[in-house]
Amino acid sequence: MLRLVKRFNEANPDVNVLMQRMDWSTYYNKLFVAGMGGRAPELFVLQTLAIPRFARAKFVRPVDDLLKQPHAVDVRDLDANVWNAVSYAENHYGLPLDIWPMGMYYNRRLFREAGIVDAQGEAKPPSTRDEFLDAARRISSTTSGKPGDRWGFTFTYFESNLYSVMQQFGGEFFTPNLDRCIINGPNNVAALQFCVDLIRKEKCAPPPENFDSWIGFRQGKVGMVFEGIYMLADLQKQKDLDYAGAPAPVLGDHRAVWAGSHNLCLRANLNAKELEAAWRFMSFLSNNSLDWADGGQVPARRSLRDSDRFRHMTVQSEFAKQIPYVKYLPRIPFIFEFQTEFNAAIEKALRGSESPKSALDTAAANLNRIIQREREAGPS
Amino acid sequence: MLTRKSLARYSGYLFVLPYLALFTVFLLIPLLYGLGLSLYRRELLTSIPARFIGIGNYVEALHDAYFWKALLATFRFVLVATPLTVCAALAIAVVLSRTSGKLQTFLRAAYFAPTILTVSVAGILWRWFYNSEFGLFNAYLGHLGIKAPWLTNNSWALISIALMTLWWTVGGPMVVLLAGIHHIPPQYHEAASLDGADGYRQFLHITLPLLRPVLLFVVVLNIIGSFQVFGQTFMITRGGPEMSTRSLVQYIYETAFNNYRMGYASSLSWLLFLVIAAFSAVQFRLMREQ
Amino acid sequence: MAQQELIPSSGKTGIAAAVVRIVAIIGALVFAAPILLIFITAFKPDSEIVDFRGILPQSPTLQNFHEILGSPEEIPIARWFGNSLLISTLTTALVLTVDSLAAYGLARLNLPGKRWVLGVIVATLMVPGQILLVPVYLILNRLGWLDSPLALIVPAGAGAFGVFLLHQFFLNIPKDLEEAAALDGCSRFGIFLHVALPLSMPALATLGIFTFIGSWNDFLGPLVFLDSVDKYTLPVGIALFQTSYYAEYGLTLAASVLCTLPVMIVFLRFQRHIIQGIALTGLKD
Repeated sequence: MLRLVKRFNEANPDVNVLMQRMDWSTYYNKLFVAGMGGRAPELFVLQTLAIPRFARAKFVRPVDDLLKQPHAVDVRDLDANVWNAVSYAENHYGLPLDIWPMGMYYNRRLFREAGIVDAQGEAKPPSTRDEFLDAARRISSTTSGKPGDRWGFTFTYFESNLYSVMQQFGGEFFTPNLDRCIINGPNNVAALQFCVDLIRKEKCAPPPENFDSWIGFRQGKVGMVFEGIYMLADLQKQKDLDYAGAPAPVLGDHRAVWAGSHNLCLRANLNAKELEAAWRFMSFLSNNSLDWADGGQVPARRSLRDSDRFRHMTVQSEFAKQIPYVKYLPRIPFIFEFQTEFNAAIEKALRGSESPKSALDTAAANLNRIIQREREAGPS
Repeated sequence: MLTRKSLARYSGYLFVLPYLALFTVFLLIPLLYGLGLSLYRRELLTSIPARFIGIGNYVEALHDAYFWKALLATFRFVLVATPLTVCAALAIAVVLSRTSGKLQTFLRAAYFAPTILTVSVAGILWRWFYNSEFGLFNAYLGHLGIKAPWLTNNSWALISIALMTLWWTVGGPMVVLLAGIHHIPPQYHEAASLDGADGYRQFLHITLPLLRPVLLFVVVLNIIGSFQVFGQTFMITRGGPEMSTRSLVQYIYETAFNNYRMGYASSLSWLLFLVIAAFSAVQFRLMREQ
Repeated sequence: MAQQELIPSSGKTGIAAAVVRIVAIIGALVFAAPILLIFITAFKPDSEIVDFRGILPQSPTLQNFHEILGSPEEIPIARWFGNSLLISTLTTALVLTVDSLAAYGLARLNLPGKRWVLGVIVATLMVPGQILLVPVYLILNRLGWLDSPLALIVPAGAGAFGVFLLHQFFLNIPKDLEEAAALDGCSRFGIFLHVALPLSMPALATLGIFTFIGSWNDFLGPLVFLDSVDKYTLPVGIALFQTSYYAEYGLTLAASVLCTLPVMIVFLRFQRHIIQGIALTGLKD
C-alpha cells in the first residue's frame, strides 16, 4: 500500500497523500472524533458493515454522480452483491476496493496422515457437510502421541465462522424492513447447535475455553480453520507449515460465506478542488488494486481478478471462487451493537454456558430493544 | 483599612490563579459538561438531535443488565486485587525494612520497576505469558502435564488479571509502607526486644498498629485505582471471556466510543464516580475514628 | 536504616535474617525478570515466539528491529521520539511551575476559602479520566489546538495530583524559616522562591519525574487529540502500527523495547528520588 501511495504522490505533485495504519476499532474512534471536530480526512476507508452508520449520519458523500463522469471506474466491473452492499437508502456510499471472503485453510500434512487424499496422494479438501465431518473426525482421531494435540477443526473468529454457517443453514437475522430481529429463528438455532455439537458431541473441535485457535493452526495442531483471506500474511511467516486454501465447505443447504470489503469513501461537504483530488486518488487506487492483493486481499474489480498475475496467487484465487455467493453483515445502522450481541450469544453457546436457543433468544431480545430505542429517537 | 487587608488576603490567590485557570477549563468545566450531558439523549453518528430526558439515562442504567454485570466484575476485581496487592506490598515492605544500604536500594528498584511500564507494554507481555498455547506459564506447566486456563475460564480470568495487576502496581504501595515503617521510632522495637518479643510478635504488636494510618491511606488509594481498572483488562482480555472481565470503565468507553451514546456514557461515568466517592467517604470516616 | 542494629545477631535470628534476605532477593528477581524477558524475546523470530521452546532465542535475529526501524516513511520513529521528548519535557515544566505556585498558596498563605478550593481539587482525584475525554476534545477544538503538542501539554497542567503532593510537602516547612525571611524584607513571592522551593527539591524532583514518565506513557490523550502520523508520540505511533488481525508478537515486543528503554534509563538514573517522593505522598495526610 505504501508503494502505491508513493507512486501516486510522484505522479500527482499537486496532491499529497498520507497513509496511516491502525486497527479497526481505534480507526473508527479516530474517524468519528475527527469528524466531530470537522477534521475528518477527505478520503477514507470504511468497511462495508460501517457504511449504513456513517451514511445515516451524513458523514459520507454518495459516489453515484461521480461514477457517471467520463473515464470513471466502470461499476459493471464489480460483482452485483459487492456493489449492492455499499448502498444505503437510494445511494451508493463507497467504491469497493477489495473483498475479504472467509474461506478454508487446511493443513496438508495432517490430511495426508489421516489418509484424506485424492488419486495422486495429495490432500483433498472437503466441500460438503459429510466430507467435512468425515475429515474432521479422521484428523481428530489420528493422534501424534499426546492426547488433545490434534484437532480436525477449530472455531477461530466466531463472527465470520457462525455467520457463514447460519447463512448456509438458510438462517435470517432481521425482517426485510429491518423492524424486528429474528436471529433466534429455527435455522440459526440449528446452525449453532451443529457447531456446538462439533465441540461437545463429535469432539473434533477443541472447546474454546482453553485453546488459542489460530495459533493452534499455525503450530500444526489443527486440520482445518475458516478464516479471512487477510490471515494469509500471517501464515506466510510460518515457514514449516504445509497449508493450502480452498472454498469453505457447504455445511447446510445453501452456498454462503461471510465477507467484508474495504471501500473508499469521500467525506460529505467537500469543495470542488478537494473532491477532484480525492476522486483522482480513489480511481488510481481502484485501478491498481492488484498490488494490494499481494498483502492478502482479493481485488473487487473482476478484470483484475482475470489477470494471470492474480491467478498465480493460489490462495487468493481459491478464495475468490466464492465471490458470487459471499454474504455481508446485515445492512443496519446499529451494526456495532449487532456484532456485540451476536458474538456474545455465540460465545455463550460454544463455551457451553447456555443452550443455542436461549443464547440467541437473549440476543434477539436485546437487539429488538435497540431497534425500539432507535425508533423512539425519531426519524432516521 | 478592612478592605485593604482583605484585598491583601485575596491577592495571595495570584499564586493559585494559573493553576485554577487550567483546572477550571480542562477539569471542572469538562466535568460539569459531562454531568449536563448525562441528562440528555445525545448520540453521535446519527442525525438525531440531542434531547433533554432528565434522569432517563440513569433509569436506563438501573435496568441495563450489562451495567450490572460490569459493576459486578469491577467489584469482584476490587475485592480480589486490593487485598492481594496491599498484603503483598506490606510483606515486601516489612522484609525490605530488615535490609539496608545497597541491597535495599537494589531490591526497592527491582520491585518498583514494573510500575514504570506503560500499560500497553505490560499488557502485551502478560497476554503472552498467559496464552494457553504458547504462553510462558503453560510452556513450563506443560512439563508437569498441567494446562491452566489463565484467561479462558471465566473465574480464572479475573484472578489472572489481578495477579498481573499485583506485579504491575505493587511498587507504589510498597514504597509508601516501607517509608512508614522507617518512621516508626526505634525505641518501640528496642523496648520490645528487651521484653523478649520475637520478630513476628513485634510486627503484630508494634509495626502493624503504628502503621495503621499509612496502611489505610494506601488501601483507599488502591481501591480508587481498582475501581477505575481498564487498561490491563482491555489489553489482555478485551473484557472476555463472556464479558467476565469487562470493567465499568471499559463499558463506559465502549458505550461512548464504539456505540457513540455520549449521554448514556456520561450517566454511567457519574454513577461510577458516585460509587467511588461513597466508598472513599466510608473509608475516610473509618480512618478518622481510628 | 536504624532497624539493622536492632536485630540481635545471635545464632537463630541471624539465620532467620539470612533466609528473609534470600527470599527477598529471589522475589525481586521474579519481579524484574518479565522486563528482562521483553528485551530477550524481542530478538526472537516470530515463529519461535509462537512455538515456545525456551527463554533464550535459538536463532537470535535483529529482524524485528529492522522491520520497525527500516521504513522511516511509514514508521517515522525518530520523529515520534522527538515529539515524545518535547511533549514530556514541556508538560513537566508547566506542571512544576503551576502546581508549586498553587500548592504554596494553598498550604502557606492565609487565603479565604482555601479549604474549599483544596477540597474540590482533591475530590477530582477520584474522577476516572475517560469521562473528560470528549468535553476536553471539544474545548481543544474550539481553541484550535488539536493535532498540535499544545493539546497534550496544557490540559496536563489541570491534574490535581501535583498540587496535592506539593501541598502536603509545603505544610511541613517550619514557620520560623518563613518568618525570618519576612523579617529580612522578603516578599511572599521571594519567600516562595528562596525558602520554600529550595526546601522542597526532593518533592519537586519526584513530581517532575512522575509527570515526565506519565506523559511519556500517556496513550489515550495522544490517540484522540493527534491526527497526523508525523505528530504522534512514541507509544501511540508504535501501538497503532500493529494491526488487530495478526499476533505479531515479535514486532510488538521490539516496539516495546524501543518504547521502554528511555523511561527505564530515567528510572534507573533517578530511582532514589522517585521512590523517596512516593513515600512523601503517603506519610502526611
